[in-house]
Amino acid sequence: MDFNFSEDQQQLRDAVRRWVSKAYTFERRREIVAEGGFSRAAYNELAELGLTALAVPEAHGGLGQGPIDVMVAMEELGRGIVLEPLAQAVVASAVLSQYAPADAQAQWLPKIAGGEALVVLAHQERKARHRLDVCSATATASGTGHVVNAHKSLVPVGDHADAFLVPAQLNGQIALFLVERGASGVALRGYGTQDGGRAAELQCTNTPATLLTQHGLTALTLASDVANAALCAEAVGAMEQTLHITVDYMNQRKQFGVVIASFQALRHRVADMKMQLELARSMSYYASLKMTAPAAERHLAMARARVQLGQAMRFVGQQAVQLHGGIGVTDEYIVSHYFKRLTQLEMTFGDSLHHLGEVSAGMQETAGVFA
Amino acid sequence: MDLAFTPEEQAFREEIRAWVRSNLPEDIAHKVRNALRLSRDDLQRWAKILGSRGWLGHGWPTAFGGPGWTAVQKHLFEEECALACAPRVIPFGPVMVAPVIMAFGNAEQQQRFLPGIASGEVWWSQGYSEPGSGSDLASVKTRAERQGDHYLVNGQKTWTTLGQYGEWIFCLVRTSTEGKPQTGISFLLIDMKSPGVSVRPIKLLDGECEVNEVFFDDVKVPVENLIGEENQGWTYAKHLLSHERTNIADVNRSKRELERLKRIAKAEGVWEDQRFRDQIALLEIDVIALEMMVLRVLSAETSGKNPLDIAGLLKIKGSEIQQRYSELMMLAAGPFSLPFIEEAMEAGWQGDFPGGEAANAPLASTYFNMRKTTIYGGSNEVQRNIVAQTVFG
Repeated sequence: MDFNFSEDQQQLRDAVRRWVSKAYTFERRREIVAEGGFSRAAYNELAELGLTALAVPEAHGGLGQGPIDVMVAMEELGRGIVLEPLAQAVVASAVLSQYAPADAQAQWLPKIAGGEALVVLAHQERKARHRLDVCSATATASGTGHVVNAHKSLVPVGDHADAFLVPAQLNGQIALFLVERGASGVALRGYGTQDGGRAAELQCTNTPATLLTQHGLTALTLASDVANAALCAEAVGAMEQTLHITVDYMNQRKQFGVVIASFQALRHRVADMKMQLELARSMSYYASLKMTAPAAERHLAMARARVQLGQAMRFVGQQAVQLHGGIGVTDEYIVSHYFKRLTQLEMTFGDSLHHLGEVSAGMQETAGVFA
Repeated sequence: MDLAFTPEEQAFREEIRAWVRSNLPEDIAHKVRNALRLSRDDLQRWAKILGSRGWLGHGWPTAFGGPGWTAVQKHLFEEECALACAPRVIPFGPVMVAPVIMAFGNAEQQQRFLPGIASGEVWWSQGYSEPGSGSDLASVKTRAERQGDHYLVNGQKTWTTLGQYGEWIFCLVRTSTEGKPQTGISFLLIDMKSPGVSVRPIKLLDGECEVNEVFFDDVKVPVENLIGEENQGWTYAKHLLSHERTNIADVNRSKRELERLKRIAKAEGVWEDQRFRDQIALLEIDVIALEMMVLRVLSAETSGKNPLDIAGLLKIKGSEIQQRYSELMMLAAGPFSLPFIEEAMEAGWQGDFPGGEAANAPLASTYFNMRKTTIYGGSNEVQRNIVAQTVFG
């Protein structure tokens, strides 16, 4: 049992943190938001840092790193509320390397590693809410391949992506397909999201698609778990910075002739924020450490972590705004952007109530970190 | 980063588990499992069994006859004891005063007091709080006046846990009123059989007498019972508090009680009630998060890096969890937690408990009793002050 980071992981953290503080300033982020919520240039910088290659196997030109390295990188990106979706590269790497046929792996993994291809998960449907097993998109065999008919929503940076991982019903079960952006019948409609980022509606009409796996739900569950572990880490970074900003502000802001950091009612609120942050960090570690566990244990661990993280994100975000007072609800000041990011993260890949339902249904006689 | 214990640690756990299984008397485990009343004899019987194996002072270094275990080994030992339904070790002797005697007592005091603590022969009590000194402990007024070869002690201690059983008591006493309140305090060991010591049990809201008032009326205490130097007692007391790290979270016991909560929920028919079950799920997640936090602290201690500054958080969360499981147990039984039949809290009671489930008898009492956890050991509000201090710098 050891919660220390390796030297390499420490270096990775330092490198990403340096990039965030030097190259991804609040001003630059603001410009990216104004331009639509995604910058391919910034994404390419993540690739230059080696981050898009982190989870790609070495055989396909990646670094073949594990969940802890991903966690470290995501924490630091969260600290800067970076909009460019590194987590999608991690998800695509995991799904393709574990479920795709060899030629699809050879075609896409090196490009994901190098940042040339942005492959994103397109699974959200209107009626599914947070369920992975609800899917009305369909696929049919056509010639030697398949065609897909689908309408997927909230596809991360959809109108900038190069390919999509699309679940669709095939022969009575959910299968997973890869759809290229340039394929016939693909229609994309991009829009901004509440956190300043970008998403798109993806429409596929008789669109040629590559079958990755017939075990779509299993692959989708892996995708969701990978995304949730990454999301937890991202949230920890964002919350840590949110607390930092708030404490800084409280040490400077004066009312009644003294800094507001001197008021006990407010100090206790900060102590409660620190509690939520540390519980969240503990469960983020737990989530990433459980990524190598058998699928059922892994999935339950993500649900447990997400409930804790969800509560923490909401509390830390709301209280950070409250403790700032009026300036906290302005667009001009940074803290509202953290709050909105944390709010959106809580509702991504299952919200807290959804995950609580999973934990509740899966409860056993004995429970603990190791059970 | 790695979540698994080493093979050596696993083997250690197995060894402890086997030993506890074959040495913990079943009648005692039965009482702990069902939250029935434990007598002085029950508690001391288990203490002596541990003592005979050299494990009552399980946190002690080898130099003082302890096993010299690592932080992880101590954690595993505590976990195995808790899961086997062993009673809590009464901490005042082996966990609280012993480390102070080791660190600040002289050789004579160490030889005189440590063996009785290690074996479980001598029952120690803690004399810290006073009627006017709760969270503000440095304001203690119990006076110790030097008169030749003894101190004359006058004053009152209170909230003395199980003081009615105590044979010795370690006290913070005022030896000087000069300067800051913290500078005039001394650390004194007092034989409770001394003339002038009287103990009055305090009946608590659950009907039990778990704590006491202890009065000192012209009590003569030999000067050789002073630990360290006069007026340095506050420093020693702080050392004692620093020995309370992860065990204050009591996460192992909470894991066991979470299992009991599920059994009660099933017996009472609320396990299938989604609203109730979600509350258990939330508690389960909290328990796991607390366990992770404890493991993080253990890892930091083991690797010799700066111990994480989250001890205050462990106390706050640990106590909130203890209150929550006791609350949910009571709510699970609903109206059938309300009959107050004291005999039903004794092992072997054969009466007819209303509703037919005698296991419900102690639930409300435990809930009431657990309100203490956010008050003692530095109230949770004081803990929040400490946490805030570390955040604001």
